[in-house]
Amino acid sequence: MSELVVTAGWYMALAALLFSIGAIGLLTRRNALVMFMSIELMLNSVNLTFVAVGKELRTLEGQIATLFVIVVAAAEVTVGLAIIVAVFRRRETASVDELSEMRG
Amino acid sequence: MGNIAFLPIGLEVGLLVGALGILMAAVMRGCRTRDWAIIAGTAIGFGFVVSVRQWVVVGDIGPQLAYGTKGIDGSAVANQMVAMDKFGALGGMILMIVVGLVLIGSWQMITDLGTRGAEYVALILLSVAGMHMMIVSANLVMLFIGLETASLALYVIAGFLRDRRGSDESAMKYFLMGSFASALFIYGVALVFAATGSTSLYGPTSIGMFLGGNVMPDPGILLIGIALILVGLAFKMSAAPFHQWAPDVYQGASTGAVAFMSTGVKVAAVAAMVRVMYLGFFQFYDDWSMAVALIAALSILVGTATAIAQSDIKRMLAYSGVAHAGFLLVAVLAARVSLDSMWFYLATYAVSLVGMLTIVGVVAGVNSGPVSIDSFRGLGKKSPMLSVAIAVFMFSMAGIPGTSGFIAKLVVFTAADLNGFRWLVVLALLASVAGLFFYLRIIVVAFFDDTDAEETPSTPTGPRIAIGFAVAVTVLLGLWPTLLLDFAREALPHL
Repeated sequence: MSELVVTAGWYMALAALLFSIGAIGLLTRRNALVMFMSIELMLNSVNLTFVAVGKELRTLEGQIATLFVIVVAAAEVTVGLAIIVAVFRRRETASVDELSEMRG
Repeated sequence: MGNIAFLPIGLEVGLLVGALGILMAAVMRGCRTRDWAIIAGTAIGFGFVVSVRQWVVVGDIGPQLAYGTKGIDGSAVANQMVAMDKFGALGGMILMIVVGLVLIGSWQMITDLGTRGAEYVALILLSVAGMHMMIVSANLVMLFIGLETASLALYVIAGFLRDRRGSDESAMKYFLMGSFASALFIYGVALVFAATGSTSLYGPTSIGMFLGGNVMPDPGILLIGIALILVGLAFKMSAAPFHQWAPDVYQGASTGAVAFMSTGVKVAAVAAMVRVMYLGFFQFYDDWSMAVALIAALSILVGTATAIAQSDIKRMLAYSGVAHAGFLLVAVLAARVSLDSMWFYLATYAVSLVGMLTIVGVVAGVNSGPVSIDSFRGLGKKSPMLSVAIAVFMFSMAGIPGTSGFIAKLVVFTAADLNGFRWLVVLALLASVAGLFFYLRIIVVAFFDDTDAEETPSTPTGPRIAIGFAVAVTVLLGLWPTLLLDFAREALPHL
Protein backbone atom coordinates (compact mmCIF):
# COMPACT_ATOMS: atom_id res chain seq x y z
CA MET A 1 0.00 0.00 0.00
CA SER A 2 1.49 3.25 -1.12
CA GLU A 3 1.28 6.34 1.02
CA LEU A 4 -1.40 8.81 0.09
CA VAL A 5 0.28 11.89 -1.36
CA VAL A 6 -1.68 15.11 -1.01
CA THR A 7 -1.08 16.94 -4.27
CA ALA A 8 -2.21 20.37 -5.35
CA GLY A 9 -5.16 18.75 -7.05
CA TRP A 10 -6.64 17.79 -3.69
CA TYR A 11 -6.31 21.33 -2.42
CA MET A 12 -7.91 22.66 -5.56
CA ALA A 13 -10.79 20.22 -5.20
CA LEU A 14 -11.24 21.33 -1.59
CA ALA A 15 -11.12 24.97 -2.70
CA ALA A 16 -13.70 24.32 -5.41
CA LEU A 17 -15.94 22.70 -2.78
CA LEU A 18 -15.54 25.67 -0.42
CA PHE A 19 -16.21 28.08 -3.25
CA SER A 20 -19.39 26.22 -4.18
CA ILE A 21 -20.55 26.21 -0.55
CA GLY A 22 -19.94 29.94 -0.41
CA ALA A 23 -21.75 30.62 -3.66
CA ILE A 24 -24.74 28.47 -2.68
CA GLY A 25 -24.82 30.09 0.75
CA LEU A 26 -24.86 33.55 -0.81
CA LEU A 27 -27.70 32.65 -3.13
CA THR A 28 -29.89 30.81 -0.61
CA ARG A 29 -29.44 32.56 2.76
CA ARG A 30 -31.37 35.74 3.49
CA ASN A 31 -29.41 37.17 6.38
CA ALA A 32 -26.97 39.83 5.20
CA LEU A 33 -24.29 38.78 7.69
CA VAL A 34 -24.44 35.14 6.61
CA MET A 35 -24.37 36.19 2.95
CA PHE A 36 -21.33 38.30 3.72
CA MET A 37 -19.63 35.34 5.44
CA SER A 38 -20.32 33.29 2.32
CA ILE A 39 -18.46 35.87 0.25
CA GLU A 40 -15.52 35.66 2.65
CA LEU A 41 -15.56 31.88 2.29
CA MET A 42 -15.40 32.26 -1.49
CA LEU A 43 -12.41 34.61 -1.20
CA ASN A 44 -10.65 32.18 1.14
CA SER A 45 -11.12 29.32 -1.29
CA VAL A 46 -9.44 31.57 -3.86
CA ASN A 47 -6.52 31.97 -1.45
CA LEU A 48 -6.28 28.21 -1.00
CA THR A 49 -6.16 27.73 -4.77
CA PHE A 50 -3.48 30.37 -5.21
CA VAL A 51 -1.27 28.98 -2.43
CA ALA A 52 -1.60 25.36 -3.50
CA VAL A 53 -0.88 26.10 -7.15
CA GLY A 54 1.98 28.42 -6.25
CA LYS A 55 3.57 25.68 -4.13
CA GLU A 56 3.09 23.13 -6.88
CA LEU A 57 4.61 25.36 -9.57
CA ARG A 58 7.38 26.58 -7.24
CA THR A 59 6.66 30.22 -7.90
CA LEU A 60 6.04 33.03 -5.44
CA GLU A 61 3.34 34.55 -7.61
CA GLY A 62 0.60 32.50 -5.97
CA GLN A 63 1.60 33.49 -2.45
CA ILE A 64 1.84 37.16 -3.40
CA ALA A 65 -1.57 37.06 -5.06
CA THR A 66 -2.93 35.61 -1.82
CA LEU A 67 -1.60 38.59 0.12
CA PHE A 68 -3.42 40.91 -2.25
CA VAL A 69 -6.65 38.98 -1.90
CA ILE A 70 -6.38 39.07 1.92
CA VAL A 71 -5.94 42.83 1.85
CA VAL A 72 -8.90 43.27 -0.48
CA ALA A 73 -11.02 40.99 1.73
CA ALA A 74 -10.13 43.11 4.75
CA ALA A 75 -11.15 46.27 2.90
CA GLU A 76 -14.39 44.58 1.91
CA VAL A 77 -15.10 43.71 5.56
CA THR A 78 -14.72 47.36 6.51
CA VAL A 79 -17.13 48.64 3.89
CA GLY A 80 -19.52 45.70 4.08
CA LEU A 81 -19.96 45.67 7.85
CA ALA A 82 -20.45 49.43 7.83
CA ILE A 83 -23.25 49.08 5.29
CA ILE A 84 -24.85 46.21 7.23
CA VAL A 85 -24.69 48.22 10.47
CA ALA A 86 -26.24 51.24 8.72
CA VAL A 87 -29.10 49.09 7.46
CA PHE A 88 -29.57 47.44 10.85
CA ARG A 89 -29.73 50.79 12.68
CA ARG A 90 -32.46 51.95 10.37
CA ARG A 91 -34.58 48.85 10.14
CA GLU A 92 -33.65 46.68 13.16
CA THR A 93 -33.10 43.73 10.86
CA ALA A 94 -30.32 42.31 8.74
CA SER A 95 -32.58 40.26 6.49
CA VAL A 96 -32.40 41.17 2.84
CA ASP A 97 -36.05 40.23 2.40
CA GLU A 98 -36.96 43.42 4.26
CA LEU A 99 -35.05 45.38 1.65
CA SER A 100 -37.64 45.35 -1.05
CA GLU A 101 -38.85 48.91 -1.56
CA MET A 102 -37.41 49.03 -5.02
CA ARG A 103 -38.93 46.73 -7.56
CA GLY A 104 -40.53 46.79 -10.96
CA MET B 1 12.22 50.31 -18.48
CA GLY B 2 13.65 48.89 -15.31
CA ASN B 3 13.63 52.00 -13.16
CA ILE B 4 10.40 53.35 -11.76
CA ALA B 5 9.05 56.09 -13.95
CA PHE B 6 6.17 58.23 -12.83
CA LEU B 7 4.28 58.66 -16.06
CA PRO B 8 2.50 55.25 -16.35
CA ILE B 9 0.64 55.72 -13.07
CA GLY B 10 0.68 59.50 -12.95
CA LEU B 11 -3.07 59.67 -13.37
CA GLU B 12 -3.76 57.38 -10.43
CA VAL B 13 -1.23 59.14 -8.21
CA GLY B 14 -2.71 62.53 -9.06
CA LEU B 15 -6.23 61.40 -8.22
CA LEU B 16 -5.18 59.76 -4.94
CA VAL B 17 -3.28 62.86 -3.87
CA GLY B 18 -6.32 64.93 -4.79
CA ALA B 19 -8.62 62.67 -2.75
CA LEU B 20 -6.36 62.87 0.30
CA GLY B 21 -5.99 66.62 -0.19
CA ILE B 22 -9.75 67.10 -0.15
CA LEU B 23 -10.09 65.07 3.05
CA MET B 24 -7.29 67.08 4.67
CA ALA B 25 -8.81 70.35 3.53
CA ALA B 26 -12.14 69.33 5.05
CA VAL B 27 -10.46 68.52 8.36
CA MET B 28 -8.25 71.60 8.55
CA ARG B 29 -10.30 74.31 6.93
CA GLY B 30 -13.82 73.08 7.55
CA CYS B 31 -16.68 73.00 5.13
CA ARG B 32 -15.43 75.12 2.24
CA THR B 33 -16.72 73.52 -0.93
CA ARG B 34 -14.75 75.98 -3.02
CA ASP B 35 -11.48 74.40 -1.83
CA TRP B 36 -12.69 70.95 -2.72
CA ALA B 37 -13.77 72.10 -6.15
CA ILE B 38 -10.34 73.57 -6.82
CA ILE B 39 -8.52 70.44 -5.61
CA ALA B 40 -10.80 68.04 -7.47
CA GLY B 41 -10.61 70.15 -10.60
CA THR B 42 -6.83 70.25 -10.39
CA ALA B 43 -6.58 66.48 -9.87
CA ILE B 44 -8.91 65.71 -12.77
CA GLY B 45 -7.21 68.25 -15.01
CA PHE B 46 -3.85 66.78 -14.04
CA GLY B 47 -5.15 63.31 -14.88
CA PHE B 48 -6.24 64.53 -18.30
CA VAL B 49 -2.89 66.19 -18.95
CA VAL B 50 -1.06 63.01 -17.90
CA SER B 51 -3.23 60.98 -20.29
CA VAL B 52 -2.43 63.37 -23.15
CA ARG B 53 1.24 63.23 -22.23
CA GLN B 54 1.10 59.41 -22.21
CA TRP B 55 -0.47 59.52 -25.66
CA VAL B 56 2.33 61.75 -26.98
CA VAL B 57 5.12 59.75 -25.33
CA VAL B 58 3.71 56.44 -26.57
CA GLY B 59 3.53 57.98 -30.04
CA ASP B 60 7.25 58.76 -29.79
CA ILE B 61 8.74 55.67 -28.15
CA GLY B 62 5.99 53.09 -28.53
CA PRO B 63 3.96 51.38 -25.79
CA GLN B 64 5.78 50.52 -22.58
CA LEU B 65 5.40 48.17 -19.66
CA ALA B 66 6.30 49.28 -16.17
CA TYR B 67 6.75 48.07 -12.60
CA GLY B 68 8.07 44.60 -13.17
CA THR B 69 10.24 42.30 -11.08
CA LYS B 70 13.54 40.78 -12.12
CA GLY B 71 13.81 37.02 -12.01
CA ILE B 72 15.65 35.57 -8.99
CA ASP B 73 18.63 34.78 -11.18
CA GLY B 74 18.70 38.35 -12.49
CA SER B 75 17.02 37.36 -15.71
CA ALA B 76 14.91 39.66 -17.83
CA VAL B 77 12.27 41.84 -16.23
CA ALA B 78 9.07 39.86 -16.01
CA ASN B 79 5.60 40.14 -14.50
CA GLN B 80 5.03 43.73 -15.54
CA MET B 81 2.13 45.28 -13.70
CA VAL B 82 1.12 48.34 -15.71
CA ALA B 83 1.00 48.95 -19.44
CA MET B 84 1.39 52.43 -20.83
CA ASP B 85 -0.21 52.58 -24.25
CA LYS B 86 -2.65 54.69 -26.22
CA PHE B 87 -5.42 52.32 -25.11
CA GLY B 88 -4.97 53.34 -21.51
CA ALA B 89 -4.34 56.98 -22.43
CA LEU B 90 -7.63 57.33 -24.33
CA GLY B 91 -9.43 55.47 -21.54
CA GLY B 92 -7.98 57.96 -19.08
CA MET B 93 -9.14 60.93 -21.16
CA ILE B 94 -12.69 59.56 -21.43
CA LEU B 95 -12.85 58.77 -17.71
CA MET B 96 -11.57 62.24 -16.78
CA ILE B 97 -14.17 63.93 -19.00
CA VAL B 98 -16.94 61.74 -17.57
CA VAL B 99 -15.99 62.28 -13.94
CA GLY B 100 -15.56 66.00 -14.55
CA LEU B 101 -19.06 66.25 -16.04
CA VAL B 102 -20.52 64.21 -13.18
CA LEU B 103 -18.98 66.43 -10.52
CA ILE B 104 -19.97 69.66 -12.27
CA GLY B 105 -23.49 68.36 -12.78
CA SER B 106 -24.05 67.17 -9.21
CA TRP B 107 -22.03 69.73 -7.26
CA GLN B 108 -25.23 71.01 -5.69
CA MET B 109 -25.59 67.76 -3.78
CA ILE B 110 -22.03 68.06 -2.47
CA THR B 111 -22.67 71.53 -1.07
CA ASP B 112 -25.94 70.27 0.45
CA LEU B 113 -24.07 67.48 2.22
CA GLY B 114 -21.92 69.87 4.23
CA THR B 115 -18.65 68.45 5.56
CA ARG B 116 -19.53 64.96 4.37
CA GLY B 117 -19.42 66.31 0.82
CA ALA B 118 -15.62 66.13 1.00
CA GLU B 119 -15.82 62.38 1.57
CA TYR B 120 -18.13 62.04 -1.41
CA VAL B 121 -15.75 63.86 -3.76
CA ALA B 122 -12.77 61.94 -2.38
CA LEU B 123 -14.56 58.60 -2.91
CA ILE B 124 -15.39 59.51 -6.49
CA LEU B 125 -11.75 60.37 -7.18
CA LEU B 126 -10.57 57.11 -5.56
CA SER B 127 -13.10 55.13 -7.54
CA VAL B 128 -12.11 56.64 -10.87
CA ALA B 129 -8.46 55.92 -10.07
CA GLY B 130 -9.43 52.27 -9.64
CA MET B 131 -11.33 52.33 -12.92
CA HIS B 132 -8.32 53.61 -14.80
CA MET B 133 -6.18 50.99 -13.07
CA MET B 134 -8.49 48.36 -14.54
CA ILE B 135 -7.85 49.71 -18.04
CA VAL B 136 -4.06 49.87 -17.77
CA SER B 137 -3.35 46.78 -15.68
CA ALA B 138 -1.05 44.26 -17.32
CA ASN B 139 -1.69 41.55 -14.75
CA LEU B 140 -4.92 39.92 -13.69
CA VAL B 141 -4.24 40.38 -9.97
CA MET B 142 -3.58 44.06 -10.66
CA LEU B 143 -6.87 44.20 -12.54
CA PHE B 144 -8.58 42.74 -9.49
CA ILE B 145 -7.09 45.45 -7.26
CA GLY B 146 -8.34 48.13 -9.65
CA LEU B 147 -11.77 46.50 -9.80
CA GLU B 148 -12.05 46.45 -6.02
CA THR B 149 -10.74 49.99 -5.59
CA ALA B 150 -13.42 51.17 -7.98
CA SER B 151 -16.17 48.98 -6.52
CA LEU B 152 -15.59 49.49 -2.80
CA ALA B 153 -15.77 53.26 -3.24
CA LEU B 154 -18.92 52.86 -5.34
CA TYR B 155 -20.71 50.80 -2.66
CA VAL B 156 -20.26 53.68 -0.25
CA ILE B 157 -21.25 56.27 -2.86
CA ALA B 158 -24.46 54.34 -3.60
CA GLY B 159 -25.51 54.52 0.06
CA PHE B 160 -24.15 57.95 0.78
CA LEU B 161 -27.41 59.71 1.59
CA ARG B 162 -28.06 57.82 4.81
CA ASP B 163 -31.17 59.80 5.77
CA ARG B 164 -33.07 58.97 2.62
CA ARG B 165 -35.08 55.79 2.39
CA GLY B 166 -33.86 53.43 -0.26
CA SER B 167 -30.27 54.61 -0.12
CA ASP B 168 -29.19 51.90 2.32
CA GLU B 169 -31.10 49.27 0.38
CA SER B 170 -29.27 50.39 -2.73
CA ALA B 171 -25.86 50.15 -1.05
CA MET B 172 -26.58 46.73 0.47
CA LYS B 173 -27.73 45.20 -2.79
CA TYR B 174 -24.84 46.71 -4.70
CA PHE B 175 -22.38 45.51 -2.09
CA LEU B 176 -23.60 41.90 -1.92
CA MET B 177 -23.92 41.47 -5.68
CA GLY B 178 -20.73 43.37 -6.43
CA SER B 179 -18.68 41.35 -3.94
CA PHE B 180 -20.11 38.16 -5.38
CA ALA B 181 -18.97 39.28 -8.84
CA SER B 182 -15.51 40.17 -7.51
CA ALA B 183 -15.19 36.76 -5.86
CA LEU B 184 -16.17 35.04 -9.12
CA PHE B 185 -13.64 37.14 -10.98
CA ILE B 186 -10.71 36.40 -8.67
CA TYR B 187 -11.56 32.70 -8.55
CA GLY B 188 -11.42 32.77 -12.33
CA VAL B 189 -7.98 34.35 -12.08
CA ALA B 190 -6.89 31.63 -9.64
CA LEU B 191 -8.07 28.90 -12.02
CA VAL B 192 -6.29 30.53 -14.95
CA PHE B 193 -3.19 30.66 -12.76
CA ALA B 194 -3.61 26.97 -11.98
CA ALA B 195 -3.93 26.11 -15.66
CA THR B 196 -1.20 28.32 -17.09
CA GLY B 197 1.05 29.17 -14.14
CA SER B 198 0.74 32.87 -14.81
CA THR B 199 -1.49 35.84 -14.12
CA SER B 200 0.42 38.19 -16.40
CA LEU B 201 -0.82 39.46 -19.73
CA TYR B 202 2.59 40.50 -21.05
CA GLY B 203 6.17 39.37 -21.05
CA PRO B 204 8.00 36.06 -21.37
CA THR B 205 5.95 34.36 -18.64
CA SER B 206 2.53 35.59 -19.73
CA ILE B 207 -0.65 33.58 -20.15
CA GLY B 208 -0.60 34.18 -23.89
CA MET B 209 2.99 32.90 -24.19
CA PHE B 210 2.11 29.76 -22.25
CA LEU B 211 -0.98 29.08 -24.33
CA GLY B 212 0.94 29.78 -27.53
CA GLY B 213 3.74 27.39 -26.59
CA ASN B 214 1.75 24.54 -25.10
CA VAL B 215 -1.09 22.51 -26.50
CA MET B 216 -3.60 21.82 -23.75
CA PRO B 217 -5.22 18.44 -24.21
CA ASP B 218 -7.82 19.14 -21.56
CA PRO B 219 -8.40 22.87 -21.07
CA GLY B 220 -11.36 22.40 -18.71
CA ILE B 221 -9.98 24.35 -15.75
CA LEU B 222 -8.76 27.14 -18.02
CA LEU B 223 -12.14 27.46 -19.72
CA ILE B 224 -13.93 27.64 -16.36
CA GLY B 225 -11.45 30.32 -15.33
CA ILE B 226 -12.07 32.35 -18.49
CA ALA B 227 -15.82 31.99 -18.02
CA LEU B 228 -15.64 33.22 -14.41
CA ILE B 229 -13.53 36.22 -15.44
CA LEU B 230 -16.08 37.04 -18.14
CA VAL B 231 -18.98 36.70 -15.71
CA GLY B 232 -17.24 38.91 -13.15
CA LEU B 233 -16.75 41.71 -15.69
CA ALA B 234 -20.26 41.24 -17.14
CA PHE B 235 -21.66 41.66 -13.63
CA LYS B 236 -19.86 44.98 -13.28
CA MET B 237 -21.17 46.31 -16.58
CA SER B 238 -24.68 45.00 -15.71
CA ALA B 239 -25.08 42.67 -18.68
CA ALA B 240 -27.92 40.16 -18.57
CA PRO B 241 -28.35 37.68 -16.89
CA PHE B 242 -26.18 39.41 -14.27
CA HIS B 243 -28.10 42.68 -14.23
CA GLN B 244 -30.72 42.22 -11.50
CA TRP B 245 -28.94 44.54 -9.09
CA ALA B 246 -28.71 47.48 -11.48
CA PRO B 247 -32.31 48.80 -11.53
CA ASP B 248 -32.68 48.63 -7.73
CA VAL B 249 -29.30 50.24 -7.14
CA TYR B 250 -29.87 53.01 -9.68
CA GLN B 251 -33.32 53.77 -8.34
CA GLY B 252 -32.20 53.99 -4.73
CA ALA B 253 -28.92 55.86 -5.14
CA SER B 254 -28.77 59.61 -5.65
CA THR B 255 -28.96 60.77 -9.24
CA GLY B 256 -25.45 62.20 -9.21
CA ALA B 257 -24.03 58.90 -7.96
CA VAL B 258 -25.93 56.99 -10.63
CA ALA B 259 -24.48 59.21 -13.34
CA PHE B 260 -21.03 58.19 -12.16
CA MET B 261 -21.53 54.49 -11.48
CA SER B 262 -23.51 53.76 -14.62
CA THR B 263 -20.92 55.27 -16.97
CA GLY B 264 -17.51 54.90 -15.34
CA VAL B 265 -17.78 51.23 -14.51
CA LYS B 266 -19.01 50.41 -18.00
CA VAL B 267 -16.06 52.20 -19.61
CA ALA B 268 -13.57 50.46 -17.33
CA ALA B 269 -15.10 46.98 -17.50
CA VAL B 270 -15.47 46.99 -21.29
CA ALA B 271 -11.94 48.25 -21.88
CA ALA B 272 -10.53 45.76 -19.36
CA MET B 273 -12.48 42.95 -21.00
CA VAL B 274 -11.04 43.77 -24.41
CA ARG B 275 -7.48 43.83 -23.09
CA VAL B 276 -7.78 40.62 -21.05
CA MET B 277 -9.71 38.56 -23.55
CA TYR B 278 -7.73 39.47 -26.65
CA LEU B 279 -4.27 39.56 -25.08
CA GLY B 280 -4.65 36.81 -22.50
CA PHE B 281 -6.87 34.26 -24.15
CA PHE B 282 -6.67 34.87 -27.87
CA GLN B 283 -5.95 31.18 -28.48
CA PHE B 284 -9.41 30.45 -27.11
CA TYR B 285 -11.12 33.18 -29.12
CA ASP B 286 -13.65 30.75 -30.64
CA ASP B 287 -14.81 29.66 -27.19
CA TRP B 288 -15.10 32.98 -25.40
CA SER B 289 -16.41 34.96 -28.37
CA MET B 290 -19.42 32.66 -28.48
CA ALA B 291 -20.03 33.20 -24.76
CA VAL B 292 -19.71 36.97 -25.18
CA ALA B 293 -22.12 36.88 -28.13
CA LEU B 294 -24.70 34.96 -26.09
CA ILE B 295 -24.44 37.36 -23.14
CA ALA B 296 -24.72 40.26 -25.59
CA ALA B 297 -27.83 38.84 -27.24
CA LEU B 298 -29.49 38.15 -23.89
CA SER B 299 -28.62 41.63 -22.57
CA ILE B 300 -30.06 43.33 -25.65
CA LEU B 301 -33.28 41.32 -25.50
CA VAL B 302 -33.83 41.53 -21.73
CA GLY B 303 -32.82 45.18 -21.48
CA THR B 304 -35.06 46.32 -24.32
CA ALA B 305 -38.05 44.22 -23.31
CA THR B 306 -38.03 45.29 -19.65
CA ALA B 307 -37.23 48.96 -20.27
CA ILE B 308 -40.54 49.31 -22.12
CA ALA B 309 -42.53 48.51 -19.00
CA GLN B 310 -40.81 50.95 -16.62
CA SER B 311 -42.49 54.01 -15.14
CA ASP B 312 -39.45 55.22 -13.19
CA ILE B 313 -36.93 57.13 -15.28
CA LYS B 314 -33.90 55.75 -13.45
CA ARG B 315 -35.13 52.16 -13.73
CA MET B 316 -35.81 52.80 -17.40
CA LEU B 317 -32.25 54.10 -17.86
CA ALA B 318 -30.93 51.10 -15.88
CA TYR B 319 -32.66 48.63 -18.21
CA SER B 320 -31.63 50.67 -21.22
CA GLY B 321 -28.15 50.42 -19.71
CA VAL B 322 -28.50 46.62 -19.75
CA ALA B 323 -29.34 46.81 -23.44
CA HIS B 324 -26.39 49.13 -24.00
CA ALA B 325 -24.15 46.70 -22.13
CA GLY B 326 -25.25 44.21 -24.77
CA PHE B 327 -24.35 46.63 -27.57
CA LEU B 328 -21.00 47.23 -25.86
CA LEU B 329 -20.37 43.48 -25.80
CA VAL B 330 -21.07 43.49 -29.53
CA ALA B 331 -18.40 46.19 -29.65
CA VAL B 332 -16.05 43.90 -27.74
CA LEU B 333 -16.52 41.30 -30.48
CA ALA B 334 -16.16 44.00 -33.13
CA ALA B 335 -12.90 45.11 -31.53
CA ARG B 336 -11.15 42.29 -33.33
CA VAL B 337 -11.49 44.18 -36.59
CA SER B 338 -11.89 47.74 -35.36
CA LEU B 339 -11.12 49.03 -31.91
CA ASP B 340 -12.16 52.58 -32.76
CA SER B 341 -15.82 51.53 -32.93
CA MET B 342 -15.66 50.31 -29.34
CA TRP B 343 -14.10 53.55 -28.10
CA PHE B 344 -16.60 55.61 -30.04
CA TYR B 345 -19.53 53.72 -28.55
CA LEU B 346 -18.12 53.92 -25.02
CA ALA B 347 -17.35 57.63 -25.17
CA THR B 348 -20.60 58.76 -26.78
CA TYR B 349 -22.83 56.56 -24.63
CA ALA B 350 -21.11 57.68 -21.44
CA VAL B 351 -21.42 61.37 -22.33
CA SER B 352 -25.08 61.09 -23.38
CA LEU B 353 -26.00 59.17 -20.23
CA VAL B 354 -24.24 61.61 -17.92
CA GLY B 355 -26.05 64.46 -19.68
CA MET B 356 -29.41 62.72 -19.36
CA LEU B 357 -28.95 61.93 -15.67
CA THR B 358 -27.83 65.50 -15.02
CA ILE B 359 -31.18 66.61 -16.46
CA VAL B 360 -32.97 64.13 -14.20
CA GLY B 361 -31.04 65.68 -11.32
CA VAL B 362 -32.17 69.18 -12.33
CA VAL B 363 -35.82 68.21 -12.75
CA ALA B 364 -36.23 66.00 -9.69
CA GLY B 365 -33.45 67.23 -7.39
CA VAL B 366 -29.91 65.95 -7.57
CA ASN B 367 -30.18 63.77 -4.46
CA SER B 368 -33.52 62.32 -5.48
CA GLY B 369 -34.17 58.60 -5.24
CA PRO B 370 -36.98 57.18 -7.39
CA VAL B 371 -38.07 59.60 -10.14
CA SER B 372 -41.25 58.97 -12.08
CA ILE B 373 -41.31 59.65 -15.80
CA ASP B 374 -44.29 61.91 -15.07
CA SER B 375 -41.94 64.48 -13.53
CA PHE B 376 -40.99 65.38 -17.12
CA ARG B 377 -44.60 66.25 -17.86
CA GLY B 378 -44.96 69.56 -19.65
CA LEU B 379 -41.25 70.30 -19.49
CA GLY B 380 -41.34 71.38 -23.13
CA LYS B 381 -43.31 74.51 -22.27
CA LYS B 382 -41.62 75.40 -19.01
CA SER B 383 -38.04 74.77 -19.98
CA PRO B 384 -37.62 74.42 -23.74
CA MET B 385 -33.82 74.27 -23.65
CA LEU B 386 -33.82 71.38 -21.19
CA SER B 387 -36.38 69.53 -23.27
CA VAL B 388 -34.34 69.94 -26.43
CA ALA B 389 -31.39 68.50 -24.54
CA ILE B 390 -33.54 65.54 -23.44
CA ALA B 391 -34.53 65.00 -27.07
CA VAL B 392 -30.88 65.04 -28.17
CA PHE B 393 -29.82 62.50 -25.56
CA MET B 394 -32.78 60.22 -26.17
CA PHE B 395 -32.24 60.37 -29.94
CA SER B 396 -28.60 59.53 -29.35
CA MET B 397 -29.37 56.53 -27.13
CA ALA B 398 -31.99 55.31 -29.57
CA GLY B 399 -29.55 55.73 -32.44
CA ILE B 400 -31.29 58.28 -34.64
CA PRO B 401 -29.18 59.84 -37.44
CA GLY B 402 -27.65 63.20 -36.67
CA THR B 403 -26.56 62.17 -33.19
CA SER B 404 -23.43 60.39 -32.03
CA GLY B 405 -25.44 57.34 -30.96
CA PHE B 406 -26.34 56.60 -34.58
CA ILE B 407 -22.72 56.66 -35.72
CA ALA B 408 -21.72 54.56 -32.70
CA LYS B 409 -24.24 51.84 -33.57
CA LEU B 410 -23.33 52.09 -37.26
CA VAL B 411 -19.61 51.55 -36.75
CA VAL B 412 -20.04 48.85 -34.11
CA PHE B 413 -22.58 46.85 -36.10
CA THR B 414 -20.58 47.16 -39.31
CA ALA B 415 -17.44 45.90 -37.61
CA ALA B 416 -19.26 43.07 -35.83
CA ASP B 417 -20.81 42.00 -39.12
CA LEU B 418 -17.36 42.05 -40.70
CA ASN B 419 -16.17 39.83 -37.87
CA GLY B 420 -18.82 37.23 -38.64
CA PHE B 421 -21.61 37.93 -36.15
CA ARG B 422 -24.40 38.74 -38.59
CA TRP B 423 -27.15 37.06 -36.49
CA LEU B 424 -26.16 39.19 -33.52
CA VAL B 425 -26.17 42.36 -35.61
CA VAL B 426 -29.65 41.60 -36.97
CA LEU B 427 -30.89 41.01 -33.44
CA ALA B 428 -29.30 44.24 -32.22
CA LEU B 429 -30.84 46.21 -35.09
CA LEU B 430 -34.32 44.88 -34.34
CA ALA B 431 -33.88 45.66 -30.65
CA SER B 432 -32.75 49.20 -31.52
CA VAL B 433 -36.00 49.74 -33.38
CA ALA B 434 -37.99 48.41 -30.42
CA GLY B 435 -35.96 50.66 -28.15
CA LEU B 436 -37.29 53.71 -29.97
CA PHE B 437 -40.54 53.17 -28.09
CA PHE B 438 -39.28 53.96 -24.60
CA TYR B 439 -36.77 56.60 -25.64
CA LEU B 440 -39.36 58.50 -27.63
CA ARG B 441 -41.95 58.12 -24.87
CA ILE B 442 -39.91 60.43 -22.64
CA ILE B 443 -39.79 63.04 -25.40
CA VAL B 444 -43.53 62.68 -25.91
CA VAL B 445 -44.16 63.15 -22.18
CA ALA B 446 -41.92 66.21 -22.13
CA PHE B 447 -43.32 67.96 -25.21
CA PHE B 448 -46.90 66.86 -25.76
CA ASP B 449 -48.28 66.22 -22.31
CA ASP B 450 -48.83 69.45 -20.37
CA THR B 451 -51.54 68.40 -17.94
CA ASP B 452 -50.97 69.38 -14.31
CA ALA B 453 -47.58 70.91 -14.86
CA GLU B 454 -45.55 71.51 -11.73
CA GLU B 455 -43.44 74.58 -11.00
CA THR B 456 -40.66 75.47 -13.38
CA PRO B 457 -37.25 74.04 -12.48
CA SER B 458 -34.47 76.54 -13.06
CA THR B 459 -31.18 75.10 -14.23
CA PRO B 460 -28.21 76.12 -12.07
CA THR B 461 -24.92 77.03 -13.74
CA GLY B 462 -23.11 73.75 -13.00
CA PRO B 463 -25.62 71.40 -14.61
CA ARG B 464 -26.07 73.95 -17.40
CA ILE B 465 -22.38 73.61 -18.30
CA ALA B 466 -22.43 69.80 -18.04
CA ILE B 467 -25.60 69.45 -20.11
CA GLY B 468 -24.38 71.98 -22.68
CA PHE B 469 -21.09 70.17 -23.07
CA ALA B 470 -22.80 66.78 -23.39
CA VAL B 471 -25.23 68.11 -26.02
CA ALA B 472 -22.38 69.71 -27.95
CA VAL B 473 -20.37 66.48 -27.95
CA THR B 474 -23.39 64.37 -28.90
CA VAL B 475 -24.34 66.57 -31.86
CA LEU B 476 -20.79 67.32 -32.98
CA LEU B 477 -19.73 63.67 -33.04
CA GLY B 478 -23.00 62.80 -34.75
CA LEU B 479 -22.26 65.18 -37.60
CA TRP B 480 -18.50 64.86 -37.65
CA PRO B 481 -17.61 61.42 -36.27
CA THR B 482 -14.11 61.31 -37.73
CA LEU B 483 -13.07 63.76 -35.01
CA LEU B 484 -13.03 60.90 -32.53
CA LEU B 485 -12.81 57.91 -34.87
CA ASP B 486 -9.48 58.94 -36.41
CA PHE B 487 -8.13 59.58 -32.96
CA ALA B 488 -9.45 56.31 -31.51
CA ARG B 489 -8.08 54.26 -34.39
CA GLU B 490 -4.61 54.65 -32.85
CA ALA B 491 -5.74 53.71 -29.35
CA LEU B 492 -4.50 50.15 -29.47
CA PRO B 493 -3.33 48.19 -26.46
CA HIS B 494 0.31 47.18 -26.17
CA LEU B 495 0.78 43.83 -27.83
